[in-house]
Order: sequence, then C-alpha cells, then structure tokens
Amino acid sequence: MLQELLKFINYWYFRYLLITELYMVEKWERVMIHIVLLIIFTIIGLFNWIVVLGAIGYFVGPVINDNIKRQVMYS
Amino acid sequence: MKTITDNMSITECINTSNYNEIKNDKSKHTFTAGTYQNGYNYKEYSGNYLRRNGKYLNGHTLTSSSDEEHLNYKLKRLNGTKALKKEKLVKESFEKPTLISTLLTSISFYILMFLGYISQALFPPKVATEHNRHGYPHLYDKFASFYSRYVYRRIRDCWNYPICSVPGAEVVLKERITPDNGWTFEFTGSQRKCINLGSYNYLGFAEKSGPCAELAIKTAHTYGLSTGATRQQYGTCEVHRELEKLTAEFLGVEDAITFGMGFATNSLNIPALLSPECLVISDERNHASLILGIRLSGATVRVFQHNDVKDLERVLKTAIYYGQPSEESNKHKPWRKICIFVEGIYSMEGSIAHLPQIIALKKKYKAFLYLDEAHSIGAIGKSGKGVVDYFGCDPKDIDVLMGTFTKSFGSAGGYIAGTKQFISYLRQKSYASKHACAMSPPVAAQIIAVLKILMGKDGTDLGKNRINALACNTQYFRRRLAQIGVITYGNQHSPVVPILVYLYSKIVYSVRTLIENNIATVGVGYPATPLLEARLRICLSAAHTKEQLDYALEIIEKVANDIGLKYSRLPKDPNPIQYETLELNH
Repeated sequence: MLQELLKFINYWYFRYLLITELYMVEKWERVMIHIVLLIIFTIIGLFNWIVVLGAIGYFVGPVINDNIKRQVMYS
Repeated sequence: MKTITDNMSITECINTSNYNEIKNDKSKHTFTAGTYQNGYNYKEYSGNYLRRNGKYLNGHTLTSSSDEEHLNYKLKRLNGTKALKKEKLVKESFEKPTLISTLLTSISFYILMFLGYISQALFPPKVATEHNRHGYPHLYDKFASFYSRYVYRRIRDCWNYPICSVPGAEVVLKERITPDNGWTFEFTGSQRKCINLGSYNYLGFAEKSGPCAELAIKTAHTYGLSTGATRQQYGTCEVHRELEKLTAEFLGVEDAITFGMGFATNSLNIPALLSPECLVISDERNHASLILGIRLSGATVRVFQHNDVKDLERVLKTAIYYGQPSEESNKHKPWRKICIFVEGIYSMEGSIAHLPQIIALKKKYKAFLYLDEAHSIGAIGKSGKGVVDYFGCDPKDIDVLMGTFTKSFGSAGGYIAGTKQFISYLRQKSYASKHACAMSPPVAAQIIAVLKILMGKDGTDLGKNRINALACNTQYFRRRLAQIGVITYGNQHSPVVPILVYLYSKIVYSVRTLIENNIATVGVGYPATPLLEARLRICLSAAHTKEQLDYALEIIEKVANDIGLKYSRLPKDPNPIQYETLELNH
C-alpha cells in the first residue's frame, strides 16, 4: 500500500518536474523554484481565504461558518 | 485632372492626380480574363481601376481574391485526369495542441529563462567578455550566447554524439559522460550499437560494401581522392561529366551541374541568379542554406506562411502591385525577377510542398520557381525522382531544380538541373563552379552507381525495391504512431517524421531513454523550430526492417506513456496495421 503510494507520488513528482522544465536544471535551482512556487501558491491561497471570502461574506453574510455546512448536510 | 495616356512613363502615371482616386476605388472593380499587351496574362478590369490604355501601375495589376476558381480550373487542366493528386494533400496534418498544454509550455519556458538569468548572474561563465568598448556596438549577440550557455548547455548531451560506424540501419555511438552539467564531456571508452532513426539515409545507400562502394574504391584507385582544382581549371574528370549526364537523365531535364557540397549549392548559386532588384518569395520554413544564399544575393525577401498557397498568392499579388520599395524617385518600379523558393520535403516539418498549385501560381504570375529537393530526391515518388515525380508534374515547369546527394544517395554534394542554356550560364557565373574545388571522384562514383541502380541500368530491380521499402516503412511507421496517439507533423508519405513533445525536458528524457534502449533519434528545439514546438525527429530508411521498426515503436509507446506525449485528439485507427499488405500509393 505504502509502496504504491510512494510510487504514485514519485511518478507525479517526475511529471511535475517535466512540465515545469525543472527536470533538466541543477538541484539548487529546482529547490529555489519549489520554494518560489510554494510562496506564490500560499499567497494566492491566503489572499483567497482572507480577502475574497471576506468580501463575499460582506455581501452575502458568513460563507464558511454555517450556511455551507448546513447545505452540505442536507443535500 | 490629367488622364493617363499610352506614352506616359510609370512614374508619371503614379503622379497623375487621379491615381489616388483610382486607388481608393479598389472595391468597385469587376473583371474578365484576357492576355495583355505587356506580356502578362492578367485579368482585364472593367471600371476605372488602375488601367488606362494598356498601362498598369508598374506593369502589373492586383487581381481579385476570387481568382481561386480560375486557379482551380487551371489546376484541373494541368493535372488532366489525375484527380487523385488532390487527395494526397489532404493527408497532411499539423495538429494543434490543447490550449492548456500551450500555456504550460509557455510558463515552463519562462521558468527556464528565469533560472538561466539567475544562474548567469550568480555564476558568471568563464569566457571572454567585452570591456571598455564604450560607444561600440556589442560584438556578441547577448541573447544567443545566454541561450547556448544556460539553456542548450544543460541538455547538450543529447546532441553532437560522435559515431564510430557507417550510419546505416544501425549506428554505433561513442558513449560519454559530463561531470559538470554539460560544460565539458569525457569519453567513457565504451560504445553502444543503436537502431539509427536519425540519419538522412532514406534509401539505405550509406554502406561500406556493395556495388556502390566498389565503384567508389575503383575510382579512387584511378583518379585519387581530390581533383585539386576547380571545375573551370583542371577539375573536370570523366566521372563528373558522366554524373551530370546521368543526373539530367534521371530528372528528365536537359542538363545538370554538380557541386562538392550540398549546402554550398544553395548558398553559392543563388547569388549568381538574383540581384538586389529582384524579389524572393520564400517559405517561412526554408532551410538555412537557402536563406543564406538569398541574403548574399541582396534581393528583397517576402515570406509566406508554411505551405500555404493562398498566402503565397497574397504575397505575390501585393509585391507585384506595389513594386520595389526603393527611394522616392524609384518607387513602384517593377521587379527585375520574381522567384519563389520552396523545398520538396521540409526537414523539420515533414511536409511536402504543394507543387501543382505552386506551379499554377508561378505560371499565372510569370515568376520563377526554385525547388530545393534536398530531402525529397530519392525519398518519394514512384521512381524516386522526388516531389516532381510524386505529384506527376512536368520537371520542365520548374525553372531551377536543386537537390543534394548527401541524403538518399549516401554520398556528398549537390546538383542544379534545368535547361541547357541556364546550366551553361551557371557553369560560367556560379561561385561554386568558379572558386570551389570540384567534387571528389570517388564521391561522384558512389552517386553514379546509385543513380544507375535507381534507374534500373544495372539490370536489377534493387532500386525499385528500396523505393518501395522506404514507402512501406514510412506508411507503417506513421500509421502506427497515429495509433499510439502522439502528434506527428507533415505528409503521410514523407519519411521525415517529427513527433511533437513541446517541452525541452521531454526532449531530453525521450532522447536519453531511447538511447538507453538502443535507439538513436534526434531532438530538435528552438532555434531550429518555433519556440513552443520542440520535437523528436525520426528519419526512416529503406534499410530498416519491420522488426527494428516494431522495437522502436514499442519503446516510443512506452516513453509516450511515461511522460505524457499522447497529445493527439484525432480519431485512431482501431485495426492493427499489417506491414505486408500496405497499399503504396506514393
């Protein structure tokens, strides 16, 4: 089970390296791009969480807390 | 308001006040067909459109885009009953990838550039740099050196492989390793025998034994290896004369001239044909040798989209209409010559020029046609006579037939064929004939032997068999690749098969994996192809057996599965393809 999971992760990590051209660069460059991408996606995530959801909540009331939970439960 | 009369010069016509008014009135014209007194077969326009008593602006007119019907009619007349020729063009494909893969390719390219610049800033290369040259332009192209040091260098191990055998159906590679990410290489001393899918050995004549090699060895014993002089001095032997006679006979034209180097055949002969007042209309994917020759000649160049006959006509029309773009007094002067430059098979796209349409256009607009058959001669056509044979056109319709002996003939050099008068002119005026050393006699002998085999003059049908074997291999390989689901470019009958991989990393992974599995292929990326269209290029040969192709296909399928090369969204042929029963309508 664990073996298969590792294999799956390894394979998709390899595909990720290919699609970002990190496959052909040196190790320190790879690590740098990983960090840069991580920072970018974290900032986007935080922005969505705080600003976008906050703005929506301002107009339609609290989004995360009760409404969605209730909808998910009853659907 | 002045009116234009018969005895006015063209500049006067232009300066006449009603020219502008007429020019603005383009949309109103109607036309009927006819021959005109200035010798050009153009449409006669009724209505007040640029023509006054037999004078056009610079002697030409801008014809309407609805001429297509006329062109098709001409085509039908040209081809006669050969209606199936049109079908061949349909089998050409340039499938586009999905938007998402184009987007990812662009993003990854930016990442690569970004890393390259950071790497260059942190670890400046130990190479010559320019200092204290204030006020001077840069000696080196900054981007070119950056690109070769920080993009190409990383993956340099996939190219420039030294070989240690004849590049036949199989080739022996000399293995090497790089300790510092591609800056330097060391030989390991070991060798690797690979199936050769990278050499331009279309008919499999690159051999170290057999009738061709024997004739070459015999000639080397008679004439030595070099003539030591140019053709115009003491450089012409009997073999050269025989070779030129045979080449002309093979191609079905009056005369031919041969040169010792294929690239130079283009780049050194075009300057003898064109001058700065000429117009060149060139396909956007033309080979570097053609581009170099055209630049050397100083002619004006207009480029049309790859293999797009409609665009070619548009460019021709516009260029003829506006004339030369020189200084004010000379403006709109007619071109001295107009020459269309196309290739038979494009080496990076695997496509075949749409010759019948191009010939019809050339006749319609009275332009010259320069056809570069470097890859197509020997490789396609029922009797291996290239793209002219493939479409069943008349070789006399093409003004300059150029080709090389480097590919299908397993030798070296190039030829130019045409009318006797034209070839005599080249013999006198061409730089390659005046200043370049004549072709080496054994090299010429190899070509003679191959030509004799192809023409059946040796009394066997070995040549015919090779041509059929190549056509069969091409069909089989291309159709199997389509079944696998990779995107391949070009015509169904072209033995050059580019497999699109889009990303540099994918080129590297596939070339390395294929070599590990004993298959030698070539990866191609920018600047040989457009930036986002990196590809693996496979050149098939008559020497490949079905087993070799099957093995190669099996490995390619595995690689395609591993790294996601199955971009194609075209419907796949569900039936297995039988090698033995393939229909060869080449």
